[in-house]
Formats: sequence, structure tokens, C-alpha cells
Amino acid sequence: MQRAINDLNILSRFCNEFCKIIEKYCDYIVVSGFVAIASGRTRGTEDIDLIMKKVDLNKWKIIFDELYNNGFICMQSNDYKEIYNYLNDNISVRFTWKDKPLPEMEIKFSKDSLDEYQLKTKVKLSLTGLDIWFSNINVNIAFKEELLKSPKDLEDARHLRIVFEEMVDEEEIRRVKKLIKELRL
Amino acid sequence: MRESHLEQIERWAKFVRDNPNSWQKSHSDFIDAIFENHEKFLQEMIKTPKGREKLVKLYDIKNREGYSWLI
Repeated sequence: MQRAINDLNILSRFCNEFCKIIEKYCDYIVVSGFVAIASGRTRGTEDIDLIMKKVDLNKWKIIFDELYNNGFICMQSNDYKEIYNYLNDNISVRFTWKDKPLPEMEIKFSKDSLDEYQLKTKVKLSLTGLDIWFSNINVNIAFKEELLKSPKDLEDARHLRIVFEEMVDEEEIRRVKKLIKELRL
Repeated sequence: MRESHLEQIERWAKFVRDNPNSWQKSHSDFIDAIFENHEKFLQEMIKTPKGREKLVKLYDIKNREGYSWLI
């Protein structure tokens, strides 16, 4: 069930406002820590990670302008071309609300078959009360257990395994872990 | 015996799973408190000598125009 905007915490409201703009122009997914936090994990974070389908420069200008006109600032530059070059070079860029250094939305373009798989298998999670796209639970668990592996990430994975136990598919987790080894390690 | 950190995480995760409509309020209060606390920190840092420059370094802000308290 989707929650009313007034019921959202600061992090969820920030993410919701940002994603509502991005989704008008391209596929995207929210990944990693915020998936666990939006699903009830009680820990702080300073940034939300988002992967978006690669767009051309003209479309990026429209997205960049709309973000700016809705109160989002890119921390690196106001020059959309410069930011597009970063994204094209697989460098992530960060946006915040104007005048607020936190929270941050860290975005990057999809860069390989693993990112494409995540975009293709994106999900909405009713438990979060948010009408936004997340990378699927099995992918998140695989990344946290196979690549990230910090205590915080392993705790996130444990939280996701319990909260979404009916979605956990060990076969998919195993396949994604194999892909991670091939492409990211 | 004191509950381990992992046990605490598992207990809370089970509460979220089993109470999908009642975990959000305390969770949201927790998240909001972090950012309210950060806002207070920001306002205090701005008042200190070199506070603005420290914040620029802290958050790696390249685009100063986006943050009016830096101009």
C-alpha cells in the first residue's frame, strides 16, 4: 500500500521526488542500502544509489533541467554537458536538494549486463509504501553477500532475507553471485 | 545474556515482516531524527571559523552555487 507523501520520512520523500522525475524519461532502479532501509532496516545513510538506463545528451538535458527546476542540485556542476560526460565515463554523480548537502542521490548509467539484468528484473515493493522501482531482492542479497561484504551490508542482506523470505530464490542468488565474480571481481 | 547485534537485527526484521502496517512510524521517526540532527550540526558548523570550508570538504561540494550558505 502506498503511503501518503506526508507520512514519508525525509529519505523516502527525497527518493520519491527524484524518481518521479527520472521515470518520465527512462528506466531506473534504486539499489543497495536504501532497498534495505526503505524495507524497515533501522540504520542511517547519507546517500541513495540509483542506476538509470543510458540516455542521449538531449534527453539528459531535459532530465537535468527538470531536476534543477524541481529543487535538485548536482553537487559537481550546473553544467549538464560536464555531468553527462562523467556519466558516460561510468563516473557516478550526486544530486541533493538545493541548499541541503544531505541526503544525496548518487546516480550512474547502466554499464554492463549485470546492470541490465537488474533493470530487467526491477520490482516494486509494497512493504516500503513507495511507488518506485527497486532492483530485485535476490540481486541485492547477492551484491551484499558477494561483493560488498561489510558488516553493514551483511546485516542488510540478513534483514532482506527475513523480511522478503517469500521472494528469496537461492538459485537466482547463486546465478547473480556468479555474474558478479565474472564482471565485478 | 545480552542480545547480540545480529539477533537484534533479526528480531526487528521479523517484526517488520509480521507487522507490515505498524513498523513505519518508529522507523520514520528514527530516519527523520538523523537528518534533523544533521541540520542542527550544519547550522552550528556554519557559525564556526572555517566552518563553511570544512563542510565543502566534508561533502565534496564542487558546485557552490547550489548551496546559498556557501555564497
